[in-house]
Amino acid sequence: MSHLRVLCIGLLLGLAAGFSHAAEAPRPQAGEAERLSALEARLDANAQTIEQLCARVRELELQLAQARPGAAPPASAAAQAQVAAVPAAAPPAATAEQSARLDRVESDLAQITAASSASSSADRGLAIHGFADVGVGNHNVYTPDRHGATVGSIDFYLAPQLGERVKGLVEMNVEVEHDTGSVGIDLERTQLGYQFSEAATLWLGRFHTPYGYYNTAFHHGLQILTALRRPQFLAFEDQGGIMPPHTTGLWLTGLAREGEARVQYDLFVGNGQHIVAGSLNAEPAGSFSRQVVFGGRLGLRPGGAWSDLQIGLSAFSGRIDADDVALGETRVNIGGLYAFYDSDRWENQFEMYFFRNQSLHNGTGTHHSTAGFAQLGYRAGLFTPYLRYEHTALDQSDVYFASQTYGTSYHREALGLRFDLNLKTALKAELAQTHNTDRMPYSFSDLLFQAAVRF
Amino acid sequence: MLSILLLLAFSGAAGAADLYVICHPGVKLLATEVRDMFLGEKQFAGSVMLQPADNNAAQPVFLEKILNMGADKYATAWTKKSFRDGLNPPPVKGTDAEAVDYVRRTSGACSYVSTLPGPGVVLIASL
Repeated sequence: MSHLRVLCIGLLLGLAAGFSHAAEAPRPQAGEAERLSALEARLDANAQTIEQLCARVRELELQLAQARPGAAPPASAAAQAQVAAVPAAAPPAATAEQSARLDRVESDLAQITAASSASSSADRGLAIHGFADVGVGNHNVYTPDRHGATVGSIDFYLAPQLGERVKGLVEMNVEVEHDTGSVGIDLERTQLGYQFSEAATLWLGRFHTPYGYYNTAFHHGLQILTALRRPQFLAFEDQGGIMPPHTTGLWLTGLAREGEARVQYDLFVGNGQHIVAGSLNAEPAGSFSRQVVFGGRLGLRPGGAWSDLQIGLSAFSGRIDADDVALGETRVNIGGLYAFYDSDRWENQFEMYFFRNQSLHNGTGTHHSTAGFAQLGYRAGLFTPYLRYEHTALDQSDVYFASQTYGTSYHREALGLRFDLNLKTALKAELAQTHNTDRMPYSFSDLLFQAAVRF
Repeated sequence: MLSILLLLAFSGAAGAADLYVICHPGVKLLATEVRDMFLGEKQFAGSVMLQPADNNAAQPVFLEKILNMGADKYATAWTKKSFRDGLNPPPVKGTDAEAVDYVRRTSGACSYVSTLPGPGVVLIASL
């Protein structure tokens, strides 16, 4: 406070020096006289303000001195006389009142803080998120028979935390059927789980079958995919996929750590599946037969310099009956391997599957087939160009493939570009050449555009 | 003038940290595991289920120094985690005071603050 008093004195002396200088200056001309008068008036006003500030400083110093315990009364009677219109008894009452106000403010702040920190998302209801996509192209994304603009789907998902260790995941997809144009609603995933530990979470319900990387990382929301569409053989049942993307049953998954490395495992068992009207059916209402499908996956993230890499193996087995085909039951055995590299610059994927299917009743024996894809994606700011190659070689004497509408062998080369308009909106373009190599061999080209959002 | 400079220099060396990662007492967590926890990759510390919370007031420093990513990438990471694994992102507290209060009262809770917290929490890391 004494420094402020020194400052006030200095300002007053400065003003006084200014006045003196003006008084000694040569007599001004007529026009300058007006300016000088205005300046003098401003100086007078500033001097008054400074005097008021100095008086206030002296008043605060007095209050502070009296507020200190055992403080002596101010030594200078002149200093007291300069404090105008302040009753002698007011400073202690003002200090006590200020303390009481501060206490109330602190108490209110503590209560607000506690209330805010104690609130949780569970108190504010359940958030619904989702994805949507529309497109235009020379073909429909899933079939070359349709052309023009398309409505894809709107995909809602919920992830309710139902307790400390109880989890839920629901994904409901409203989509336009690419073959009929009608609108259908599917409960794509409905799973409830209990998390025992980091090493074990048990899910019950309908889930994405854990094989490879793609099927459990990329679901029905296209905004989350780098590419415009899934590899055809990994598409969903009604979009041309030939592998069972959904299973209804039990799924145990967990993680183990060894240093920086992580090992993830998955084990599942579910309702036996059927091929109905040319498409796989995961039997979410239960299975008429007592057959089951089962399998597992083992994945490794090495950590350290390879922390962006994940590799793994998977296996699937089950008896799958083609309802429209007499003697159409097959023991399907699929072995797979995958690699996924995801860094700030690159997103590279590779998956390969080997089928060793046994026809159980029609006497055609064991059939071997393969399916795989590789994709390179380079992140260049908002743009991610990608290159993809897909290939299947499917034994057509295998009733498992022969009874599926899209069970034909093919290979596809695609060049695409993703542009992130913002965090939630992706614009994509893809140029692709597809060659169907058996049944009715033919080729076609795609030029496709898509807008995909998440919310 | 020299004394002022010396005082400033001494203050810098004695060093307030920019960020303090704190947890509820009883949470045994390594500083190297904080990143995994806030990305949903680590959900348990032993038998204790972790309950991390973000702190809006200190989040820019946390994202830069611990997660080494921007806010957009962090939001995208949690969208994927939620969509794939059914995990929800950490709740967001508005201030250091809210974050400290949450950690004190919630078993398994962890968060980060910009000022050294008082008693009732365990200091996991300071940067």
